[in-house]
Amino acid sequence: MQKTGLSVLTLLLAGLLVWVTFYWHPERRQAHQELNIQSAPQGGDFALMSHRGPVSLRQLRGKVVALYFGYTQCPDICPTSLGFLSLAINQLSPEELSGFQGLFISVDPKRDSLQRLQQYGEYFNAAILGVTGTVEQVDEAVRKYGAAYRITDTGSQMGYIVDHSADTYLVDRQGKLRAVLAHGTAPSEVLAELRKLLRE
Amino acid sequence: MKRAVYSLFTVSLMLAAGLAFAGSAAEDVTVSDAYARAVPPGQPNSASFMLLANGSATAHAVVAAESPVAKVVELHTHTMSEGMMKMRQVEKIDIPANGMTQLEPGGLHVMLIGLTQDLKPNDEVSLTLMFEDGSKLALVVPVRNLQMKMMQQGMGGMEHGKMNH
Repeated sequence: MQKTGLSVLTLLLAGLLVWVTFYWHPERRQAHQELNIQSAPQGGDFALMSHRGPVSLRQLRGKVVALYFGYTQCPDICPTSLGFLSLAINQLSPEELSGFQGLFISVDPKRDSLQRLQQYGEYFNAAILGVTGTVEQVDEAVRKYGAAYRITDTGSQMGYIVDHSADTYLVDRQGKLRAVLAHGTAPSEVLAELRKLLRE
Repeated sequence: MKRAVYSLFTVSLMLAAGLAFAGSAAEDVTVSDAYARAVPPGQPNSASFMLLANGSATAHAVVAAESPVAKVVELHTHTMSEGMMKMRQVEKIDIPANGMTQLEPGGLHVMLIGLTQDLKPNDEVSLTLMFEDGSKLALVVPVRNLQMKMMQQGMGGMEHGKMNH
């Protein structure tokens, strides 16, 4: 009987040890791991980097700009959004296209190099430029557009996953945020919204 | 007493026969419209989608999958919360008795992690689904990009399109 009691106690202690080691994470939250949706998107200028050098929204005045926040290891959501955007862009005339710039903003600068982002953007469409920056720069853009992301360790073998908002933001030729398109907006609708701004 | 034993024996026999006639999960479940998503060169991850149909009166579940094109294969789903798309691993994908489960973009998918080769449109990849009863279903699925899927499904995105120029 005493032996049984001892075994149970040992098991309990072992269990506690395992829990403390693997599951107990006091103060786990680290800085710059997440940015929640703060308020209605305001839009505004930001400065980031591309393989071609610095890219700021100010430089792109006169063009209609589509912004999307994501990360290249994203297996499904980002490819769908960029794929739909690309299908819309493909319908633009060369003249319309010259007044357009797509920006894929990586919220995962740790894993996404500028080369990787170039390759990723161009794979979907030559008019989509992959950009990122320091965490502070990325966060500034995320905040201004009412986007959100969170680095999440889920235990998946793919390493950390990035939860992220999946809207596409359309900015007009004056640099003003004009439309927020939800994830899954059909290419025809994206095209209509783009054309509306391109005609201005 | 003897009769009770006989009845029990008969019932056991019938049960055993029933089990023998009910197919394995791999026999009961049919897969259609399966494909893997084409990804940019050097991309480490992709996903496979399909429609799983269970033609039997027994519920089944996919509990794992494997493929030679990925180091690890996991089952994942997406949920939208706090304004964010959250991808999470799931233990299994249920296919209800006489029911269907759709694996599709933005939802459930078979996640291919650590691709060992680029997935280019029209490539074919092997993918094996493993079920709750240990049975396995080997598939060869084509690689498709979004444009191909849209044209195939006529999702209507480009009704005014100039797709064929």
